Amino acid sequence: MKTIMKERRWVEKYPELGTGPVAAEPCISPEYFELERERIFRRTWLNVGNVCEIPERGDYFVREITVANASILVMRGQDGVVRGFHNVCSHRGNTLAWDEKGKCRGYLTCNFHSWGYDSAGQLKWVPDEANFFDLDKSQLGLTPVATEVFNGFVFVNLDPSPRENLTQYLDGLDQQLKGGDFDKLKLARIYKIDEKANWKIGLDAQNEVYHLPFQHRYIMPDLFLANDKGMVRVLDVTFFNRHSLYSCEMNPGHKPTPLETAMMELQRSNATRCRLPVAGGQFDFYLIFPNFVLIFFRGPTDDVCLTYNFWPLAVDRTIWEIRFYTAPARTAAEALADEFSTTRNRLVFDEDAVAHETVHTGLKSRAKTQLFFQDEEIQIRHFHKIVEDHVSLARGA
Amino acid sequence: MAVQHEGIAGSQPKLPKGFADLEPFVGWALPTEKERLTARETGNIEELQVFYDAMMARLPAIIEHLKQFPVDRMPEDTERLFQMALSLIEVSIAVELYRRPEVINGFDRARFSL
Repeated sequence: MKTIMKERRWVEKYPELGTGPVAAEPCISPEYFELERERIFRRTWLNVGNVCEIPERGDYFVREITVANASILVMRGQDGVVRGFHNVCSHRGNTLAWDEKGKCRGYLTCNFHSWGYDSAGQLKWVPDEANFFDLDKSQLGLTPVATEVFNGFVFVNLDPSPRENLTQYLDGLDQQLKGGDFDKLKLARIYKIDEKANWKIGLDAQNEVYHLPFQHRYIMPDLFLANDKGMVRVLDVTFFNRHSLYSCEMNPGHKPTPLETAMMELQRSNATRCRLPVAGGQFDFYLIFPNFVLIFFRGPTDDVCLTYNFWPLAVDRTIWEIRFYTAPARTAAEALADEFSTTRNRLVFDEDAVAHETVHTGLKSRAKTQLFFQDEEIQIRHFHKIVEDHVSLARGA
Repeated sequence: MAVQHEGIAGSQPKLPKGFADLEPFVGWALPTEKERLTARETGNIEELQVFYDAMMARLPAIIEHLKQFPVDRMPEDTERLFQMALSLIEVSIAVELYRRPEVINGFDRARFSL
C-alpha cells in the first residue's frame, strides 16, 4: 500500500487553500446562481457526451443545457468531423431537432417550414425560396458552437469566442490521461436523477471519501483503504488549475459478500477488454470544472469508466446524469460481471441522492451559514474557491 | 408476491439442460433492469432469500454455461438463465446488504430514471 496515513497532510501540500470554514450561501442563493450561469456555464468547456453515441456519418445527439438556455446539436458530418451547433433554425428560431438522438439522412429539416440543413450544418433547402428577399443560404447555416473532442468525450463552449481551447482549458489534465483504450469505450448505461438540490451540493458529496464508511455503511463500509481508525485516506490529490483529481487504493482487508467473491473470480477469469490510465490506486476521481466527473475503476482484467454530469436546472434543482462506459461485453458471462458493477454502484447513487436533498434542505433554512472541511475534503475547498474566482470576476471585484 | 414460480411438473423445460432444478424460479427471467428492481422491491425477504440460495448454489455452473455464449447471440433458454442471473445480482442487494427488500434511505423511484 502506498497511501500515507498521516493526518493533515494535504494542507501542507496546498497551504494556499487555507483551513477556515467556507460560506454556505453560494449553495442556496438565487443571485449567486445567476452569476454562475453567466460566468461559468456560458463560458467554460462543458462535456455533453461521447463520440461513441454518434459512430456513423450523419448521427447526432441533442443536449438541453437548461442553465445556459441552450439546446445543443452535436452531429457527425459526412466528412466524419464532429461539430456542435445551436439547435435553432435560421428561419424564425424554431427548435430544429426534437429527438434526443437521430440520424441526418440527407437533410435535417425544421418541423415548422421544412428548412433543410446538411450534416455539416449548412442550409441547403428552403421551400418557396424565390418568394424570399435577398436570402443567402450560404450565410444562414446553423449557428456553430465551439466543439472539441478529448479522449472521445465531446465538450462544447457556449462563449461565441472562447478564450482558451480545450487543451489549454484542461491545463495538464489531458497529459495525465494520455494513452489507454478510450477508443474502445461504449455507453453501457445511463441513470438520471432529478434532485431538489443545488448542483454544487451533489458534486461536493461525491468529491470526497470521508463519508463512505458512514453514509454507505450497508454497502461498502470497508471497500476503500482506511487508517487504523477506519477513516478513509486518499492516495493522492492533484490540481490541474481549475480541475482536480483524487485517487484511492482499495482496502486489501475488504470482506466481500458471497456474490461479490464469485463476481471477482469471474472478472479474473475473463480476458482483458480495456485498460485506462489509472493514476496509481484502483479508483480515480477527476472533477473537470465545472460539472463533469470522470471516474476510473481498476478491475483485475478490465477498467470501467463512469461519468457524472451535474446539470443545474435552477438554484435548487439538478439533474445528476450518470453514465457507464465499458468495452462491450463479448460473452454473457462478461455481461454478468458488468451488471454486477453497475448495480452495486446504483445503490451508491440511491443513497447519495437522498443526502444531496437533505443537505440542501438544511442549508436552505439558514440555520448554518458555514461549511467545515477536513483535510481529506480539500478537493471541495479547491472547487469552491474556483467557483468563487469565476463568480467574483462577474461582480467586477 | 412479485414473481410467480412457474415450474410445473411435465411442462416443456424453459432452461438449458442441466438446470432443471432452477425451473421453479424461471419467473425471475426478467428482461429489464426496471423489472428486476421492481421484483426485488415488491418481494418479501424470505422469498428473495429462497431464490438467492437456489441461484448461488448453482452459480459456478451458470457462469461456466454463460461463458460459452456471445452476449448478443444466446439461445432462448440460455437468455432466460442469463436474466435469472441478472435477477440474482438485483436480489443480492436485499439479501446480502440491507436484509430487507428496499434500499435503506433510498431515493424517490419516480425521480430516478433507469
